[in-house]
Amino acid sequence: MNKIGGAVAGFFRGIGNFFGEFFAAVAKGDWAVKLSLLVWGAGYAKRRQYVKATIMTALEVGLILFSVCFASQYVPKFGTLGTVQMAQEFNIETMQMEFNDYDHSFLILLFSLFSFVVWAVGLVVWMRNTVACYRLQQAAEAGKHINTFKEDCREYLGDKFHITLLTLPIIGIVIFTVIPILLLIFVAFTNYDQQHMPPSALFTWVGFENFKSLFSSGGMTVTFGYAFVRVLGWTLVWAFFATFTTYFGGILMSLLLNSKKTRAPRLWRTLLVITIAVPQFVSLLLVRNFFSNGGIVNTLCARIGLTGWLRSIGLISTSYIPFLTAPGWAHVMIILINIWIGVPYQMLIATGILMNLPSDQLESARVDGANKFQTFRYITMPYMLQVTAPTLVTDFVKNINNFNVIYLLTDGVYTTTNQLMANSQAKEVDLLVTWLFNLTQNYYNYKMAAVIGIVVFIVCAVFTLVAFNFLIRGDKEGVYQ
Amino acid sequence: MKDKRLGSIVSHNVLIAVLCIIWLIPIVWLVCMSFSAASNMNTSTFFPQEWSTKYYVQLFHSDTVNQFKAWFMNTFKIAVFTCIICTCFTLMVAYATSFGKFKARKPLMNVAVMLNLFPGVLTMIAVYFTLRTFGLTNSHIGLILVYSASSGLGYLICKGFFDTVPRALCEAARLDGCNEARIFAQIVIPTSRPIIVYTIISSFLTPWMDFVFAKMILNAGISENYTVAVGLYKMLDKSLINSYFTVFCCGGILVSIPIAVLFFIMQKFYVEGITAGAVKG
Repeated sequence: MNKIGGAVAGFFRGIGNFFGEFFAAVAKGDWAVKLSLLVWGAGYAKRRQYVKATIMTALEVGLILFSVCFASQYVPKFGTLGTVQMAQEFNIETMQMEFNDYDHSFLILLFSLFSFVVWAVGLVVWMRNTVACYRLQQAAEAGKHINTFKEDCREYLGDKFHITLLTLPIIGIVIFTVIPILLLIFVAFTNYDQQHMPPSALFTWVGFENFKSLFSSGGMTVTFGYAFVRVLGWTLVWAFFATFTTYFGGILMSLLLNSKKTRAPRLWRTLLVITIAVPQFVSLLLVRNFFSNGGIVNTLCARIGLTGWLRSIGLISTSYIPFLTAPGWAHVMIILINIWIGVPYQMLIATGILMNLPSDQLESARVDGANKFQTFRYITMPYMLQVTAPTLVTDFVKNINNFNVIYLLTDGVYTTTNQLMANSQAKEVDLLVTWLFNLTQNYYNYKMAAVIGIVVFIVCAVFTLVAFNFLIRGDKEGVYQ
Repeated sequence: MKDKRLGSIVSHNVLIAVLCIIWLIPIVWLVCMSFSAASNMNTSTFFPQEWSTKYYVQLFHSDTVNQFKAWFMNTFKIAVFTCIICTCFTLMVAYATSFGKFKARKPLMNVAVMLNLFPGVLTMIAVYFTLRTFGLTNSHIGLILVYSASSGLGYLICKGFFDTVPRALCEAARLDGCNEARIFAQIVIPTSRPIIVYTIISSFLTPWMDFVFAKMILNAGISENYTVAVGLYKMLDKSLINSYFTVFCCGGILVSIPIAVLFFIMQKFYVEGITAGAVKG
């Protein structure tokens, strides 16, 4: 836990330093620094950095224009998310039906959020700018050289090169990851669903209502709690089995292939890798038809009498084996099919790691008379675990969100017979992510999808933090530098 | 004694062969079905009753459902742009986090770890709203942005590799008056060929392999704008599967061949990259 504590402490210390510098600059700065609180370019102008002064002042004007012309339309309505419902009115001048000047809840939410982010960035720039002006003053007072604009620019290819490199990727991440995540968190506290779809209807804040309906199972109509527990349970069971079956399967497979007894190991490896070189939407859709109720596997099973035998012992009641259409069967099949698709991947990784296994250890174990199983148990496995523990953790998280396998195998094929599940638009084989996907794509239930999204994140985050702090110790970055 | 050893070698190899056969059954079935003379799925025998290549010909004659040529070109176009943007972003972030010595480096990396915990599908919904607001759904630009805009977050494997580039080389260059930009362009990039090949191929493959994002963004659009994944998925719709199953198999094979070739090239780098990243945490 020290690592987290250290990180948190470091984080707050960083923020503290940041504000400290700013207030020191304001207190000790001369009139130009103080003026630059109002006119961003003032500090630079005094030191004859006119280009920089112009750019900063232009930025400031841009921010003000943005606030006045754009943000002011949306942010004041953020508290209610709009009050004017869309309606048609008869316009006496044009003699036509026209829409009134209605509020669009979603745009209000999105653009308010966008404004908040812009303002937050603006605030940081403003404070940094003041500090920079103060540093300039200090440099000038100490009689140091003041950079010309050209020299400043050259710094962005030299000491400040990281800023040049990181700007674009970070803008991309902010717009396409950070803002969407914030938006999602906000939507979880609204009643944005099919009955409240902008632009024809408004949605508004409802507090923790959605969380309550997810975690409570009472009531005849509210069944989200019922479905949620089952879907979450299956998600965890799936992630556990999917991770460990493919992990150990991959290690065993790679030991098998890399054994001295194997003839033509490259050929076998290539054959296995073909299965993962085919894109999943082809291979999984194919396998789904392979195992369909009237599919080829069912025909063969019926021919060799397996179907009849299963029926006679009461495992199935239909004239076919419901590989992907009945609960239980589908769960097992999904895990088996995932082994088919996942083991070659893990085999590749395990092969790469086993190649680096220190051979002197194996040799000394052999001299000491260890048998194969003991070598595997006490030398190979600990080494593998040590090297792959981080990937094991990320694999588990990836499997919690393994959309492809579940969706491609069951969408349109599996229909639930459990009415309580169906009421919440869930299926027994759904993971949290596929449930969420269906809720948004087919039922427009964005509020519940957002809540489920937050739950998925919490599950992943807690698991990762715990796993990383207890399984993996130490930061090895420095060792290699 | 010798017989016993021979027997063990034979049984060992037979076991591997059996496993390989199990693993390859669906792929063999895919190839066989694509040469079937019937348009629907063959459910009575493993091999098709009659063989023919006519559905490969049909695949290239577009009709209302099947626009394979257009899909292929769309995916190719999207893949090229995604590849360029992703590779640049990944290398830039990896260099800055590996070689940079700025205060915000560690905090930024921690934020990246947190952001990576949010599954892509999840943020996708919000991205979808946003793109719809700007009218970018059902367009390729929207899809390219979705694939590439956040690619900076996938810098870890590349950073793992950069961490192993000898620092002495860069120090020497710095003493000779090289600035950071030149070190990046003329020293680090040329010595990192394997990881760059890996990044290029893997980002080029993303649009070919992906299904979720393509479906979400292009779902409501017209068939001509689909990518291969969405197009082929729609062929297996309940109402279409009987007339298009074999065409689906042909399309599946044709799209798999280039992907498989690239995948085999990448495979070596994939293992190196993953294990290097794993060791370095």
